[in-house]
Amino acid sequence: MAAANAHAVSDAEYAEVSGHRLLGFLFFLISDCVIFGNFIFSYLYLRNAAPLWPPVGIERPYLYLAAVNSIVLFGSGATMHYAMEGMRHDRRSQFIGYTLATIVLGSMFLGGQAYEYTHLLPHTTWAGTTFGASFYTLTGLHGFHVFIGVIFLIVVLLQTLRGTYTQERHFGLTAATLYWHFVDVIWVALFFLFYIY
Amino acid sequence: MLESIPTELRIIAFIGAVIVAVVALVALRGEWPKTRLEDHVTKIMMVLLTVGCIEVMLVAIGTIGRVK
Amino acid sequence: MSVTHVELPASSHIHPPPDTFIKKYVFSLDHKVIAIQYFITAGLFLVFAGLLAELMRVQLMGPNNHVLSVAVFNQAYSLHGTAMVWLVGIPIVTGAFGNLIMPVQIGARDVAFPWLNMLSFWMLPVAGILVFASLLFGAPQAGWTEYPPVSLQLPLGESLSLWCAGVFVIGVSSTITGLNFLVTIVKMRAPGMTYTRMPLFVWATGVTAFLSMIATANLSAALAGLFIQHNFGVPFYDVTRGGAPVLWQHVFWFYSHPAVYILILPAFGIVSEVIPTFVRRPIFGYKAIAYSSAAIGLLSFMVWAHHMFTSGLQHWEQLFFMLLTMVIAVPTGIKIFSWVTTLWRGKIRLDSPLLFVLGFLSTFTLGGITGVMLASVPADAQEHASYFVVAHIHYVLFGGTIFGIFAGLYYWWPKMTGRMLDERLGKWHFWLMYIFFNLTFLPMHWAGLMGMPRRVATYDPMFAGTNLFVSISSFVLAASILIFIYNAYRSARYGEPAGPNPWGARTLEWMIPSPMPYYNFRDVPIVLSGPYDYGKPLPYANISQDLAMTPVR
Repeated sequence: MAAANAHAVSDAEYAEVSGHRLLGFLFFLISDCVIFGNFIFSYLYLRNAAPLWPPVGIERPYLYLAAVNSIVLFGSGATMHYAMEGMRHDRRSQFIGYTLATIVLGSMFLGGQAYEYTHLLPHTTWAGTTFGASFYTLTGLHGFHVFIGVIFLIVVLLQTLRGTYTQERHFGLTAATLYWHFVDVIWVALFFLFYIY
Repeated sequence: MLESIPTELRIIAFIGAVIVAVVALVALRGEWPKTRLEDHVTKIMMVLLTVGCIEVMLVAIGTIGRVK
Repeated sequence: MSVTHVELPASSHIHPPPDTFIKKYVFSLDHKVIAIQYFITAGLFLVFAGLLAELMRVQLMGPNNHVLSVAVFNQAYSLHGTAMVWLVGIPIVTGAFGNLIMPVQIGARDVAFPWLNMLSFWMLPVAGILVFASLLFGAPQAGWTEYPPVSLQLPLGESLSLWCAGVFVIGVSSTITGLNFLVTIVKMRAPGMTYTRMPLFVWATGVTAFLSMIATANLSAALAGLFIQHNFGVPFYDVTRGGAPVLWQHVFWFYSHPAVYILILPAFGIVSEVIPTFVRRPIFGYKAIAYSSAAIGLLSFMVWAHHMFTSGLQHWEQLFFMLLTMVIAVPTGIKIFSWVTTLWRGKIRLDSPLLFVLGFLSTFTLGGITGVMLASVPADAQEHASYFVVAHIHYVLFGGTIFGIFAGLYYWWPKMTGRMLDERLGKWHFWLMYIFFNLTFLPMHWAGLMGMPRRVATYDPMFAGTNLFVSISSFVLAASILIFIYNAYRSARYGEPAGPNPWGARTLEWMIPSPMPYYNFRDVPIVLSGPYDYGKPLPYANISQDLAMTPVR
């Protein structure tokens, strides 16, 4: 049904409308970047103002779990790229397989983060110190984005199985891919800021 | 629990980082000649992904990263 | 120019015409209807917020009046500022004027995402209800900026959550509108309409859209921070647990300084449209005006801390922000001089739109000059948080934005409704408003320099005379808006039909019937050159020439 509707518009019209949507979606990602940028600024400001960082009695989050978790997320970025390549060359099974892999890796990342929140930071609370405030707000906001991304991917996967997207017409998949890459790249910054810097 | 096995985690992270970095660079090479807007964005994303992998590699070999 | 290989847009229509009352007037996708919805809703909020201001002026008629309690007075100025910036100013200049005019001026049939446009509009009443509902629960009392720690103190900040939620909603709406307009301008210009052939109002709207998109996203994050600090005690701004109240000032002004340009740039755009039309000559320095808008847009992100000179900045920070703030006067000055040069030796027709523009030029220039005075750190240390600042902000936002809005309303009213406004009433409106605006806000400069602090319900008796004078003037100022409301009513009832082009203007919105038909253009127009070359043939192909060539009234 959805497929039939999609073909009611001409190819030129689809290309034009998805061009608008692509630009709009990129603008949305830019404004989302600004939101992360705001909290990153707050984190750096508070860190700079603090006499000791992390504050007394607060331990840093565990580096090597985060390193493995980062690679899980970065790997999901790579699988997502190959999923999209499959769609562009009309290799449907490649698309489905790699998208499933991305969903699994994304969920594993969320699992790792949940483990970190619950087991590895016994003294750090959201409302306790400025460290906890910025750490949980930023990684939580990022985790929320990953969660939304997983849902987004499940939705577009189901849509693909129902035949909504074709080799030529797949704006929804492009958007999901860009969103997923965006979430990955934000983590590059957050990993640096909280675990390395 | 996890703190007791740092070496294994570091090895996993390093191998993973090398694999993903190679994949990202191959993808970047494949994307390079394409010129649509989303391709340009993908290029930027792949470069940043590689940066992330290098970050993790350096962490795994102990050059950067704060344990305490 | 050959018109054989222009590329016409592929989509012949964007959305089908509405068939029910609800679809046509309530949940409309049509940019022109949404614009009118914005005008009406924001106009209603203007009345509320204006009444709050008049309540404050009643309290301030004597040095120790008891009309309002101190708490209610604090709530009144907090909500007056909040509402005027977010529920009145920004929705009217972007949502209303941007929607009404921008798509038509670029030759498009609607904005890029009509559904998002509708969503943006419907966030406005929700935000308005949230913000004004906080009055029922004891509105926040720390001013429209809601600086911690005062805004976090109980019971002062009891309904801060409602305030945060309301402003957050209108912030998201503003971000979406910005994104939508930017895609529209980048992607949907008519064939032949290059960036340097766009009308200047479109340039202004484009820069504003960029500012809305970037800066307002930052506001959403800042408000989320204040919200979680207030409700869950997350110590971003709580100094007792390592937080920093000054951090809020940074993140707030990183939005709110660009926000004042969101408020003023569309007014600049309106001025740039009105002046050439009523002077009958090409605008002087088209590119200078266009690019100075872009320069103002970029600079506006680099000056936020000039609001914080007394908050304990480093000396180099003070110097940096002082100099950059003064630099903004350069692109603004370029605009002012270009407009004045356009007026110089022109055949000026003093109709009400141009009167409001001349009012704008004089008051905004004065507000700009006091702005440069405030940008100077040593002077600001004296003037900060005094009535001088109140006078400055009202000279730029009332004398600038509101005069610009009325210029635009008088100019585009015939296009919007198909009927003329009464010219004599318009002149009465202008002169009353202009005179009593100055009588209201000019004396505040001296009161401020003499040391009267802002945001106080009682004051030193030495200011009694000035304040009584200001209060009485402000009542007349408010009453002058009634003339406009009567004029609008009269126009709807008895106004003479306007015809497509009553002012003899040359931008695309005047090339189609008034009020504008559903799809704006029967055929997509083709643009051959810039819009301000008075005295030359019209630079459009594919338009109905008989409509465009109707005689000027």
